[in-house]
Amino acid sequence: MPVIELNISRIRKLVSGNVSRKQILDVLPFLGLDIESEDGDKIRIEYSPNRPDYSTEFGVALGLQGLLGIKKGIQKTSIKKKGKFAIKVDSSLTKIRPYVTGIIAKNGTLDGDDIQQLMWMQEDLHDGIGRKRKKSSIGLHDADKISFPLTYTTTSREHRFVPLNSNTEQTIDEILSNTEQGQNYGWVIENAKNIPIILDSKQNTISFPPIINSALTTVTSNTKNILIEVTGIDKDSVEDALSIVMSTLKMAGFEFEELKISGNKNSTPQLKDRTIIYDPKFTSEILGIDMSLSNMVACMKKCRLDASVKGKKIACIIPRYRFDIFGPMDLVEEIALGYGIANIEPKLSPSTTIGQKNDITIKTELIRKTAVGLGFLEALNASLTSKKILYNMTKRNSSEIISVLDSKSQEHTILRDSLLPGLLENLSKNIHESYPQKLFESGVVFSKGEPVHESINLAVIVAYKDTNYSELKAIMQSLLRTNFKINSKTKTSKNQELFVEGRHADIFVNEKKIGEIGEINTEILETFRIRTSVAGFEIKLSGLIFD
Amino acid sequence: MSQVFHDIEKKILETLQKVPNQTPEQLSKNTELSIDQIRRGIEWLRLKGFAIVTESEKITLSLGPNGLDSLKNGLPERKLINMLKDEPKTFEQIRSVLSGAGFNVAIANAKKNGWIKIEKDNSDSLVSIKEKPIETPEEKLLSFIGEKTVLQEEITNSLAMKILLSRPNYIIQTSEKLKNISLTDAALSLDTSISSSGAIDVEADVSSIFAARTHPLQDTIDEIREIFVNLGFSEIFGSMTQSSFWNFDALFTPQDHPARELQDTFYLEDMELKNPATASQIKNISSSHSKNWKYDWKLSESQKMVLRTHTTCVTIKHLAEQKPENARIFSLGRVFRNEKVSYKHLVEFNQIEGIVIGNNTTLRDLMGIQKEFYKKLGLTKIKFWPTFFPYTEPSLQTMVYNEKLGKWIELFGMGIFRPEVTKPLGIDKPVLAWGGGIERIAMLKYELDDVREFYNNNLSWLRSV
Repeated sequence: MPVIELNISRIRKLVSGNVSRKQILDVLPFLGLDIESEDGDKIRIEYSPNRPDYSTEFGVALGLQGLLGIKKGIQKTSIKKKGKFAIKVDSSLTKIRPYVTGIIAKNGTLDGDDIQQLMWMQEDLHDGIGRKRKKSSIGLHDADKISFPLTYTTTSREHRFVPLNSNTEQTIDEILSNTEQGQNYGWVIENAKNIPIILDSKQNTISFPPIINSALTTVTSNTKNILIEVTGIDKDSVEDALSIVMSTLKMAGFEFEELKISGNKNSTPQLKDRTIIYDPKFTSEILGIDMSLSNMVACMKKCRLDASVKGKKIACIIPRYRFDIFGPMDLVEEIALGYGIANIEPKLSPSTTIGQKNDITIKTELIRKTAVGLGFLEALNASLTSKKILYNMTKRNSSEIISVLDSKSQEHTILRDSLLPGLLENLSKNIHESYPQKLFESGVVFSKGEPVHESINLAVIVAYKDTNYSELKAIMQSLLRTNFKINSKTKTSKNQELFVEGRHADIFVNEKKIGEIGEINTEILETFRIRTSVAGFEIKLSGLIFD
Repeated sequence: MSQVFHDIEKKILETLQKVPNQTPEQLSKNTELSIDQIRRGIEWLRLKGFAIVTESEKITLSLGPNGLDSLKNGLPERKLINMLKDEPKTFEQIRSVLSGAGFNVAIANAKKNGWIKIEKDNSDSLVSIKEKPIETPEEKLLSFIGEKTVLQEEITNSLAMKILLSRPNYIIQTSEKLKNISLTDAALSLDTSISSSGAIDVEADVSSIFAARTHPLQDTIDEIREIFVNLGFSEIFGSMTQSSFWNFDALFTPQDHPARELQDTFYLEDMELKNPATASQIKNISSSHSKNWKYDWKLSESQKMVLRTHTTCVTIKHLAEQKPENARIFSLGRVFRNEKVSYKHLVEFNQIEGIVIGNNTTLRDLMGIQKEFYKKLGLTKIKFWPTFFPYTEPSLQTMVYNEKLGKWIELFGMGIFRPEVTKPLGIDKPVLAWGGGIERIAMLKYELDDVREFYNNNLSWLRSV
């Protein structure tokens, strides 16, 4: 979940209405914003990825105003249509990055902190809904440095301009290899010959989407008018991103003027509110709260939506930036938030069903109890383990290995096909503890088959100077006889690396092999640095005591 | 101190009461106990204040190689006298028999004893007997020691001993520390027969033994399972390896969602499930994704096998297959996340998840179940906060106040399955879902601040917790 830094005193100013620090801290969690840490005036909060409108102080303040009852309903935004600003899209972008949208934000002022907030928002939007800039990426520019109309077109890799935070002209290739943005996001355009570019009427480069803006249009604290452009591979998602930026800049005090967009299936964004007709029965059905229609309307307004009673239903107006709202269930949640989660009374209804443990659990519990009765301590190991423990140190056959891709941890790369190697590893980590050491583990093991076969095994291991095959055979037979009345036999097995030659066997129940037993090979014990005798067995419980 | 004695102690006490002051060796002989048992018994009695251990030094003497030679053939000066018995001899003649150092020693000692006189000739000196040589104290001492080892205090002529000790390899002197055991006055008057037979020192320390037991984390898992069962939930069991279809697609997670990337989820190398679901399930899920998330849903993405990232895939599959009208079910087991392992993150941990379908399926009912669940765990100070899960709406999380840490801790999450999840699978009733990680609760229970401890299988912890 994304984390952002907020300044309480700035939030208080934005919210207005003289709210205290405490009121703000108390309400934040009820917007779904978890407070990660507090450090004087600064707090860090975590917001949900479905609410990118909470990625700045502006968006958070907009939400707080609602729940605190300071301002309710939709944030009114109008777009002037004077036709002064336009962008044309070239058909060469069709297979590269076909869509662009944008708007002009006018007559605002930004201080250094505001700009910082906008930069962080941009990064969050790029990582989240922008899918690391592949789906959509945003550029903010000082509109007064630009000669309109703009062209969104393609260029060659030799194209040169001065990128943001630089003072020298560089080619596209140089930008891709020299700048941080180029290194991080160059993969989006891969090895394309034609590179997306936004040029103004004087052929100045404005932006090289989705990598970097030009230095020419850098937004500073002197900027009054801003061009917002969003490019991407999907028309809806570029407009989603634009709507978030617009809502944020509106809260920061800007007004808007249209940017006309045309060419190659692009069009000027409408950014209209939506209306969903809400059936009030959902409130009692889903929340379990009986509420009047007008109360529901009030709750929705507290969540910065507009709503009005229409006969027996509610017409709910959703601003463009709330694209997380799909249907009535999302509105139920809005009502719950407006009502206040803290005000909802939990209710304990009697269960009409009788609880039951799974047969696997019941049988496994029984055999685990017997193991404890026989003096064994239960161990728990990861089912995702390492090749080193599972195969290399135990010299077991690794031909049926099941691996995961790109594990971040070397100790967790292979699904275990046996429990004994893990127990040997446990013994090796406990050589300084007193003996005898007796461990058991029950757990899932994996093997290949349609596509993966999972079964539950039980393994037992004993370590001390006098342990031997016969002791383990007695334990194994007792485990299966107790409660389950299973009679087992051991039969000489062919040589195995894990065990001492002549001191291991296959375990059979009704002529079916269910496991292996033996004294652990001294060479293997040496690789685990175990300096005493060890014997163990492993049996497959699936198909034996449960299906 | 209770006056209860071990059999060893009793035997030592009784022997010493008869013969005070004995060495451990003597005690061993008299009690027929091994020297180790005697040593242990002495130490116990000493600690109880009944035995006094004094140490003394024992010095013994025996003959060295020169001494043994002299015992047989006489000291060098005696050998010289024997040569001179018949007639005087020159130095040269004597040297032919008594060579090297022996010559000088013999001449010097015979002269010192006043046995010989030496007359100088032109070229040589002539030695003759001056007086009849009697047996010297040194010779007496040699034959006294003989081939035995004697205590130094048995030797009466200490001058002779000093002289022989000054001559190399005649006498070997060895010293040995000796322990002497005696009883305190209290012990001398003790009646050891008073203590009832078979009684032992019940206050003495004993060595530790460790209980065999189930794993503490497994105990917490079992406890939580039991609570679910008590709340009317029945357990279902599902695979840890799942197709992306049930782990993600069926739960309304779009195929380009960051959670589906390799860096968050474990994909099985070269493994896919050709038919992850029925044709109609695939068709419905595909169109729900295309309509709501506006992208081209691909079957191939949903066929990729993953290690389940939650147990929800097990419950949703069960619902889609069984379509129960009224049910409370839960699924419990290991889930996986491709994360860096740290004190608060594991790649593999246990999760439980319950669902309710049928009557009484409002958010308030779900909150009521939560409250009851935590009450059974002994957690009574709880509150609910809104949160977000891709497949539930509305969604809440429980915050539980921990007195020890002095803060609110996030525990289980809950919500109502989105219609975008249930409708395509043919489920038309609201489904409540709730659950979370178990290790976090176990950490609170066992007061651990490193979650890795649960899987270290560290015997010192398992044997003491």
